Parts: sequence; C-alpha cells; structure tokens
Amino acid sequence: MPRNVKVVPRHGRETKDRFYLPAIYEGIKITFRHFFDNVNDITAVDALEYPEEQPGDITERYRGLHRLTHRPDGSVACVACFMCATACPANCIFIEATERTDGVDEKMPQRFAIDTLECVFCGYCVEACPCDAIRMDTGIFSLTGRNREDFVLEKERLLSFRGAFGEEDSRAGK
Amino acid sequence: MSPAAIIVALGSFVLGALLALLMIPVLVWLERRVAGLIQDRLGPNRTNIAGFRLGGVVQSFADVIKLVLKEEYYPAHIKTGRWLLMLSPVITFAAALLAFMVIPFADTLYIGGEALRVQPLPVDFGVLWYLGVGAVGVVGIFFGGWLSHNKYALLGSVRAGSMMVSYELPLGLSVVALILTYNTIDFNAMVQWQSGTVLGFLPAWGILVQPLAAVILIITLFAETNRAPFSVAEGESEIVAGFFTEYTAMKFAMYFMGEYVAMNTASAVVITMLFGGYQLPWVGTASMLTHFDYYAWGYMVVLPLIVFGVIRWMRKNNRVRPTVSTDGGRGFETKVLTGALIIMTLLIEGALLWVTLLPEGTAAVATAVALLQIAVFVTKLMAFNLFFILVRWTLPRFRFDQVQYLGWYYLLPLALFNLFVTALVVTGGA
Repeated sequence: MPRNVKVVPRHGRETKDRFYLPAIYEGIKITFRHFFDNVNDITAVDALEYPEEQPGDITERYRGLHRLTHRPDGSVACVACFMCATACPANCIFIEATERTDGVDEKMPQRFAIDTLECVFCGYCVEACPCDAIRMDTGIFSLTGRNREDFVLEKERLLSFRGAFGEEDSRAGK
Repeated sequence: MSPAAIIVALGSFVLGALLALLMIPVLVWLERRVAGLIQDRLGPNRTNIAGFRLGGVVQSFADVIKLVLKEEYYPAHIKTGRWLLMLSPVITFAAALLAFMVIPFADTLYIGGEALRVQPLPVDFGVLWYLGVGAVGVVGIFFGGWLSHNKYALLGSVRAGSMMVSYELPLGLSVVALILTYNTIDFNAMVQWQSGTVLGFLPAWGILVQPLAAVILIITLFAETNRAPFSVAEGESEIVAGFFTEYTAMKFAMYFMGEYVAMNTASAVVITMLFGGYQLPWVGTASMLTHFDYYAWGYMVVLPLIVFGVIRWMRKNNRVRPTVSTDGGRGFETKVLTGALIIMTLLIEGALLWVTLLPEGTAAVATAVALLQIAVFVTKLMAFNLFFILVRWTLPRFRFDQVQYLGWYYLLPLALFNLFVTALVVTGGA
C-alpha cells in the first residue's frame, strides 16, 4: 500500500453494531425524542412559517433578483454595451439599444429584459458590467407569476427595484 | 340468521372497510407530519375547509381530489397488455385490503346464545388467508414493473422479486413457529391464547412467548410491505421511482395507497399475533364480561382525563405564533373541537353509565365489551403504525444484496432454529 494513503477506521464492526437491533433501538430513541419534544410544543418548532414569516437572515452576498441601477443624477446607468448579454451563459438578457434621449451619455437601452425562467443566477452579468449598471442585490428571492410573460422582467421593472442592503449608502461614505 | 347476526356482520364489515380505507388519508397525513416533527419542521398544516385544518388532515383529501382529476398519462410504446398494466395497481391494493379483512376486531360476540365473529370475513383460517392473499400483492408490483417496458421499472420489480424470495421463507417459518405455539391458525383463537399470563405475571403476548419469531416476523413484515428500510423496489436515487415509474395520477395513487393499506395490515397482523390483539394486558374477555362494571367505571375515569389532556394540548398548540399576523380561524377551530370532544365524552360516559346499570350477561354488556375491545385494537393499531413510520425515518435503506444476505444468512437459519426449539418444547421433546 502506498504510504500516502490514509486509512480511515471503519465503524460498525463492534458486536453491538453487527447485532444491529441495539443500534436500531438507539436510533429510534433519538427520533422518538425529537418527535415528542416537538409534539409537546409545536409552536416552538424552529421552522419559518413562510409566507407570513419572511426570512430575516439574507446576507449581502445573496444573489437575489437583478436590478438596474441609476446614476447619482437619477438617469439610467446602463449604456447598452451588451457586455452582460454577451457574458450571459443562458442567453436570457435581451437588449435593444437606442440613442440617448436624456443627454447624459451616448447610448442607452430602449429595451432591457431578463427572462428569469432562463436565468441561472450565475452573476456573470454583474461581473461583466463596466458601469455597475446591473446588480443582484435586491434581496428578492421569490418571484411569482401567473404566466410565462410575468417572469420576463422588463426595464421599467428592473429599474424600480431597490437595493436591499444599502450598498449605495456605504459607497457614498454615508 | 337473526337480526343481531346481520347487524354484527355488517358492522364489522363496515368497520373493517373504514379501518382500512379511511386509515389511508390519516396515515399519509400522519407520516408527513411525523416526518416533519422528527426532522424539526412542521409538515403539511395549512389546508383547511372554512378554517378547519384538523392539524392538516384536510391536505390528504385535497390530494385525493387532485389525483382523481389529474391527467392520466399513458406510455405510448405499450401496445399489448394495457389492461394488465391498468390492473396491476389494483392487484396490489386489493391484496393488501383483502388481507386486512380477516383480522378480528373484538372477541366472539355471544348474543342470544349465537356466536358472532367480529371479523369482516368471518373465517377461522385467518393466518393462511393472510399469507396467501398478502403475498399476491407483489404480483401487482411484478406486472406493473414488467409491463411498463421501462428498464427502471423492470429493475424495480426485479428488486421487489429478489426481496420477496429472501423474505417469504423466514416470514412463513416464523409464522409456523407461532402457529405451533398457539396450536391454531385462527387469528381470534391466537388472541384468546394471548389473554393468559406467562411466568405468573407477564401477559402471554407473542412477543414475550416467542421473542425470536416476533423479531423475525416484524422484520419480514417490513420487507413484505415494501417499506423502509426494505424499500428496495423503489429507489429515487438509483432507479428513478422503481416499478411505478410509468404510472401517473390515480394509477400511481393506487400503488401508493396500497403501500399504506399493506402497512396497516401488517400492523394489524403484528398486534394480533404478537401484542395481544384487541385484549388489554392481563384481562381476558370472560373477566371483562363478568366484571364489566369495574372496567366501565375505570374507563369513565380515564376517558375524561385523556380528553382533558387532548384539549389542553390542542389549546396550547393549535394557535399561530405572534410573528404570524393572521389567525386563519384556528381559535374558532379550537373552540368548536373542544365543544365536540366534550359532547362526545359526555355521550360515551352516559352510554357507559347506562350499561353499568344493566344486569350482567345481557346483549348490551356484550356489545359494550366488544366496543371497548375495538377501541383497544384501534389504539394498538395506531401505535404500531406510528412505529412503522418512526422506523422509516430512523433507518437508512438496505442495498438489495444486503437484504438477500440478511434474509438468507441470518433470518432463515434463525427462523429454522426457532421452529426447531418451538417444536421440541411443544411436543415436550418426545
């Protein structure tokens, strides 16, 4: 046997384990204890009663639903460079560019849509964006709809989402 | 046939059907809730009708409606034998259901000098019926897996077959040892045998008289019902779903319900053969009939205590947390259920009081004894069903070669040894 092989001790060879029934008894004791503790006080079971109770422990690193950011002056930050759409492995970002109408920059998206049914939430679009225009920091983990079209997020909807973790505030040094 | 005989026959048949069929939604619910509570979560508890959740039992009935209304998908590649494909879940379901029908729910009723069996099918060869009819269930699994023309389904049914050949023998031999001990193949006579005592103080239950046969019987019945830890015929991680891969909607539900009926049947057989059936420990039917007053008084004291405990538990647990804003009618449900429980208790107390005032030996006393025994039977049945569920959420699944190894190398010699010793003891070594 080569020297660098680590021999892990194999459990379950003792008489008690080989006889099996004592081990079953031990296991049933544990499941029984859990069962009766919880039956005794069901309201104390540490389970989230979603949707009435919402999770309060979503970290800042959580990839929630996408959003489009604004510039400090309130205009759309996106310049329709197609970097996110190119980086997207699921091909779920649809951009139609147009000339800038608000006079801030040269290009802006006329249509910017993300098909969340295709999206794999990999975060590559956020990585690829040179303008910090797309982020996944909304903290929204649940998207519901009645038909497939409801899951295609258009520009207006993406712009309406707010960042959930106050990243703008920390960047601005507030 | 006298009217009493017809009433008892019909009553026990209806009771058997209810205990088998109505137990399915209850067991499905119980399994999901118990699984949840064992794993520190809640399980289905939201479905309600006008605020009445009943702890979530309503979910099972909603599931039934869904399964009935669901589209029946048919694999298009199956050209011949469709009728058998349709029939195979029914075979599994019907076998488990019919096997349940020979379980006695109470001792033989004597009304007007007539002996009436409280057994849906009043036969005196119950053990043979159970072994014969119960084993047919696996045929449905074979046909289903084989006719699906799907390699996963076929593997599932092959695995079910491999398990059956390794388990039918120890099962049969342990039952033979029990038959030798009780000297009967009648379930009712077996229960009557178990009403005595061994060593002067222990109830003569099969599990104490024949511990080895009892362990083998329980293990093999777990395999017979195709439940964890012996659920090798269905393995999501290896063979998609096993033998019912191609089944949808109600056809799948028949297999699913068949498993629960089989589990219920196995529980009934175990408590009938090993745990004294409908008998309370140390108490025979004769003593209950002659001293029914005492048992009735005892029951009248115990019942309100139990109901009080249930109501207290419900008031404590049937409410929502402060963090959840909506009550959803749970407070109302608790009030109504509390009232219903109290009224039911009062009715039972009144009936018991009325029976104690009657002279002993009347038909009413005999019926009351039978009803009390039915209550004991149902309690034991539920307790053992709970044990089935607990074991499922305790043990990991066996590989199917391990199942065969266990069956052929350990259980078969043990069962033979046990049979040998039993035969020696029964014949007195002659």
